[in-house]
Amino acid sequence: MSEYRLDCLFEACPIPLLKALKQLEKMKIGEVLILHTDHNCSITNVVEWTKKQGHYIDYIEISEGEWEIYIEKAK
Amino acid sequence: MSLYEKVIKKPWPYWVGGILLALLNISLLITTGSAWSITTGLLYWAAAIAERLGIRPGEWYYFNFYEYGLKEGQTFLYNSYTVLNIAIILGALLAVLCAKEFKWKKVKNFKQFCFALGGGIIMGYGTRLSFGCNIGAYFSAIPSFSLQGWVFALFMFVGAWIGSKILFKFIL
Repeated sequence: MSEYRLDCLFEACPIPLLKALKQLEKMKIGEVLILHTDHNCSITNVVEWTKKQGHYIDYIEISEGEWEIYIEKAK
Repeated sequence: MSLYEKVIKKPWPYWVGGILLALLNISLLITTGSAWSITTGLLYWAAAIAERLGIRPGEWYYFNFYEYGLKEGQTFLYNSYTVLNIAIILGALLAVLCAKEFKWKKVKNFKQFCFALGGGIIMGYGTRLSFGCNIGAYFSAIPSFSLQGWVFALFMFVGAWIGSKILFKFIL
């Protein structure tokens, strides 16, 4: 059970979502992906996509304009 | 969730944004009589800079063949395109500052810089071939019942699909 960190700082749409997609495919069930991003559209589109796929997701704002999104692969 | 959170901080649903943009579009057309177009504004900035450098774009075939939207007495800063573009930037800045999400973002690495520059040049070239960008087609042409807007829309999907495939497979 491991954690993967993805650094998507200073990347524009849709790169955080595509990077998360690619990484999630390679992960096993139960592993956690931490996405560090400063793009405010990622909190909508990554969250929406992961919920539709059925994974667990939450995010926190770690400083002004920066978020960490935690995704646990559920299936 | 407090009112501040709901209105200023969290993103609004897509349909709310859509309706608001439609209402603003109508009011823009009523008050100024012209539709919104971003890249035409950028084109005139570039032409103004080119004129300073000695090139004379006013004599090019492109500008004399098709009608352009500038009216009498408009200058570099005081024309409908520039005012709208600067207002958009200021409005977006205001929204981000109110939501306390302002952050200076730097260029990540040289690869990103090259792709951004190359992509931007290709996009700019494309907007002149099609006389408008997303805004000119989706926001201005389609609501004006222009068929060209629909052609643009369809092929935009095709181009974006191809671009995403390339991005996903080779660049990421």
